[in-house]
Amino acid sequence: MPLASGPPSSFRRLRDAPSFPRVNPDAPALAATLARIVGARHVLTRASSLLVYRSDGLPGLERQPALAVFPGSREELVAVMRALAEAEAPFVARGAGTGLSGGALADGVTLLGLHRLKRIIAVDAEARTATVEPGVVNASLSRAVAPHGLHYAPDPSSQTACTIGGNIAENAGGPHCLKYGVTLNHVVRATVVLPDGTLTTLDRGDEGGYDLLGAFVGSEGCFGVVVDVTVRLTRDPERVITLLADFTSVRAAADATSRIVAAGILPAALELMDQATIEAVESSIYAAGYPRDAAAVLLIEVDGAAAGLEDDARAVEAECRGAGAREVRIAHDAAERARLWQGRKKAFGAMGRVAPHLAVQDAVVPRTRLADLLDEIRRIGERHGVRVCNVFHAGDGNLHPNIPYDANDPDASRRVHGAMREIMTRCIAEGGTITGEHGVGLDKLPYMDALFTADTLDAMCTLRDVFDPSRRANPGKVVPVRACREWHAAPAARALAREAVAR
Amino acid sequence: MSLAGSPLDRARAGLDACVHCGFCLPACPTYLALEDENDSPRGRLLLMGALLDGTVERDDPLVRDHLDKCLGCRGCETACPSGVPYGHLLEATRETLVATRPLPWVARLVLAIFARPFLLRVALLKARLARGSGLAALLARVLPRRVAMPFAMLASTRRESRPAWTPAGDGERGTATLLTGCVMEGLFTDVNRATERTLTVNGWRMTATNGQRCCGALHAHAGEADAARALARANIAAFEASAADVVVVNSAGCGAMCKEYGHLLQHDPAWAERAVRFAARVRDVHELLAAAGPRPTLASGERARVAYDAPCHLQHAQRVVDPPRAVLAALGHVVLVPLADADQCCGSAGIFNLVQPDVAERVLAPKLARIAESGAAVVATGNPGCLMQIGGGLTLEKRAVVARHPVELLDEGYARGAPPR
Amino acid sequence: MTAPGGPTHTPAGTAELAALVRDASARRARLRIRGAGTWMDAGHPVRDAEPLSLEAFRGVDAHTPGDLTISVGAATTLAELDEVTRAHRQWCPLLPWGDDTGTVGATVATATDGPCAAALGRPRDLVLGVEAVDGRARTLVAGGRVVKNVAGFDLTRALTGSWGTLAVLTRLHLRLRALPPGEESWVLHADDAGVERLRAALDAFARGPLAPMAIVRLGAASAGALGFDGSARALVRVGGNAAFVAESRSRLAACGDARPADPAIWNAVRARLAPEDRARRWDWNALSLRIRERFDPARLLNPGLLGDAA
Repeated sequence: MPLASGPPSSFRRLRDAPSFPRVNPDAPALAATLARIVGARHVLTRASSLLVYRSDGLPGLERQPALAVFPGSREELVAVMRALAEAEAPFVARGAGTGLSGGALADGVTLLGLHRLKRIIAVDAEARTATVEPGVVNASLSRAVAPHGLHYAPDPSSQTACTIGGNIAENAGGPHCLKYGVTLNHVVRATVVLPDGTLTTLDRGDEGGYDLLGAFVGSEGCFGVVVDVTVRLTRDPERVITLLADFTSVRAAADATSRIVAAGILPAALELMDQATIEAVESSIYAAGYPRDAAAVLLIEVDGAAAGLEDDARAVEAECRGAGAREVRIAHDAAERARLWQGRKKAFGAMGRVAPHLAVQDAVVPRTRLADLLDEIRRIGERHGVRVCNVFHAGDGNLHPNIPYDANDPDASRRVHGAMREIMTRCIAEGGTITGEHGVGLDKLPYMDALFTADTLDAMCTLRDVFDPSRRANPGKVVPVRACREWHAAPAARALAREAVAR
Repeated sequence: MSLAGSPLDRARAGLDACVHCGFCLPACPTYLALEDENDSPRGRLLLMGALLDGTVERDDPLVRDHLDKCLGCRGCETACPSGVPYGHLLEATRETLVATRPLPWVARLVLAIFARPFLLRVALLKARLARGSGLAALLARVLPRRVAMPFAMLASTRRESRPAWTPAGDGERGTATLLTGCVMEGLFTDVNRATERTLTVNGWRMTATNGQRCCGALHAHAGEADAARALARANIAAFEASAADVVVVNSAGCGAMCKEYGHLLQHDPAWAERAVRFAARVRDVHELLAAAGPRPTLASGERARVAYDAPCHLQHAQRVVDPPRAVLAALGHVVLVPLADADQCCGSAGIFNLVQPDVAERVLAPKLARIAESGAAVVATGNPGCLMQIGGGLTLEKRAVVARHPVELLDEGYARGAPPR
Repeated sequence: MTAPGGPTHTPAGTAELAALVRDASARRARLRIRGAGTWMDAGHPVRDAEPLSLEAFRGVDAHTPGDLTISVGAATTLAELDEVTRAHRQWCPLLPWGDDTGTVGATVATATDGPCAAALGRPRDLVLGVEAVDGRARTLVAGGRVVKNVAGFDLTRALTGSWGTLAVLTRLHLRLRALPPGEESWVLHADDAGVERLRAALDAFARGPLAPMAIVRLGAASAGALGFDGSARALVRVGGNAAFVAESRSRLAACGDARPADPAIWNAVRARLAPEDRARRWDWNALSLRIRERFDPARLLNPGLLGDAA
């Protein structure tokens, strides 16, 4: 019974909240078993204790887990996985809960938190690899290897909080993936525990074998759980030049992107922020000094050997000016560079200030289609009466249209979802895809049928069956539900499928 | 009973700014130590929202426990891209909850003492006696670790006697008056004098202000907002009587509180404006020193290795980040060594280490480990709570490292010889 | 090598290919996939399989230079791919062991990399998406044409390097790169007394900021195979803008006796220094057996090629 006046706070607004509390009938017995493994303090069963585990980083989607268990060591993790297998209990692995597709939501099943497994097991500076547990925070790995002049290249915007295990589940990207590649390109070997409790080592098959690790990376927690992973470390570049180009039209900024790519320069990062995003960032405590009157800015970084780098920077500047840039500014020192990047990395959160809620999307289109698509997105926004903030990896064609809105206003919610659906449909029609780095999770399930043929989706299920024939790992995510067994384990997916049909 | 109109309800807009991105998690010392998101800013904000919505009961002991375990270090505010006013929300929540459940007796006792000048003087006198007689150091050595900590903290406040020196200054920067502080004046008397001397040397004319009281930070953090407001009004009145340009504070916690008097008294029409005016005069001592240079100390052959640990209420609450480092960098007789996770809380947090000793110790452990790794002989930090928490920890572990206020180090340098003009 | 028996199947498109697989499955027949036929002696011998030629899947389907991506049929040769992309000062730097008469499909199917793989990417990094028909006659369109894509489970990764034992690759979407504006190759010589010093200098060069496109260390045998005398110790290939190449040149000169090499030397390296083929030491662990079983239950695609019981 609500005690307070006013609309519910942001956490309590649900698309279809299950009645609360809700407990899996077998949960008490399972919880007791798990508590014997990890200690009672690390098993949560009370509804009030599970509140915070109802959501991940995606605003607007919540699911209530039956219980949560947090193993604190490799041995405990394996024992927990075996106990879950024994009980035939479905489970959802979760790192720091920063994902943006609802992939770590556990709907009435066990939530397996891996955040306590945060040991950096080994660093081999000579071979440039590190072996870490899944709960190690992305940025803390880079911090730990910094004394060797190395870093871990994939740098999602949430890198200060997200975990390597989560990065592997989502095949996470980031601004610098333009040059350095995504998580997949930086993973050497992983020890994983399969849903049936088997411990096995996966690699890329370079010595003669299938690329099972390649299949595992990006499987969104549906194939098993990482126990430890060996990742490649990247040498810090000898020199970095960061440029900020500002434009009086979004189209000109998109054109500059195409020109830079076509000129054969491979920047380390090439990010576009439009006026709405600039405004949000400049109004936050992370004000980066972006020109508020620009229609769009490009944040461009070239890095590598000092020799020839200034030539690359000059070529980038020339292409920007050729596309109509009003001004191209070069960061003078590390502090200015950090400030320019800070604004970009915190842009998502800064939008949280604009309105109580935020719809986040993640689509990829061919780079030559960017300018037209951005025009189209603006028109779609206008048609639906919503404000789209674009902040994205332009060099990869990886769009992030975000819409700040008030979810307590049913009409606004309807318009936001309508606009997003139209934007995604448009991206698919242009030969693009529905997610470049956030994953499908629960949020993008309704688009999978539009993107893939029935045969292809079926084959994806086949691949899942190789790792998890029981379909207990993260049930109901990624691929629209087909198997009966999974159907029963995933009421969330059922609800979403019903919603999709209703649309 | 409804929470409508409660302090938390009035602060509700702050909750809505949270997009639960999770960026706050690694910035939260209790999350890192306890490894449950309920003990994280994202979790606590959610619980606050649930309290308001009635999703959880106000007397749910687990919910209260998670909220109680917050250090109030506000490290999350620095990490938050959405600008959630976490510190204000926490205090509003505690103020709302304290109405239905009294604080633990230790907390009540301490807060009562700090609110009463006479009791406070007696308590601090006893503490000084225990320290001076060596009793504190003895108890710290012989008692089991858990009970020994308060005595170790007390023992660690003991200062070597230093040769006195008389500062000369022209007062060209203006007039400053020192907020003497309860613990600072009671246990760190020498730091207060050093503050006055170093500011004098750096161009400030120092004047005294009578009638000062406890700043009220401990009360506000614990949810006793009315007590905090009463103390704030007394202080505002006292300092209004001073003509000094600035009110200088050398305790990060007190400084953060004083700078927030405007917020604290915002709903008090008679005092709101006076509070804002007072808050605008408050400066941390490092801000003043850094603005003045500060004047360097003489270089010496053998330089002590000093690591700077940022007090949360300086780094996160006041956002005074660089000035203390600038002050230490001006010291010719020490060398500044990097300290990993210097922006993480040490677990002191006012009276937190008295009411949540287990959590405080878990938060302190990584801090002591990082200090050991840094190879520093001195940890410099500008807050009495941190000085005692870190100092106590070092004492218990029998480390050769000491905790010192940066101003002490500056003063020590100036005492060795006249700084070049 | 055992010659595959029976008439050669040449399906005209994926529908026909799917029908062929379905039919083969019904007849309990097996298929030996063939692109240009240059790799037929790799792996373990394949017996009693009917040849399946992919010659209908040859040529460029789509190339938008501004996107730096290309879509080609599996039987397109590396030479054809190179010709089309070079016209736009681009390339797909697969550069696998062997030569350019091989097909893109075979390169991807075997995940064969080459001397430049460490710097420029391996097939596993360069393939964006595939079209394929699996052993259950399903037509898969996996991945996509865009450079970043995490939609769905990664069939592309599972099929790349699977040696045609899970599915028949018919079309491939590849990532392209701009050709470096300048490129030079150098051969470094040292006599026996100076070999250690050169090795150390090259190690330092390789660890330094001037990332070369390839460094191939030469022993006596490999130097001989390339037509060098025994004092040739390493080949280095550098690419970048003029200032980068000039700096690389001077650093290499400082390493020791560096002499310019004909860029065509890299074709010789690819043809003559290929390592042992990986199909002969396949890791048949439980998951490998299961993935084969699930995608090609009848083991009708390239049976026995990887040493699994045919």
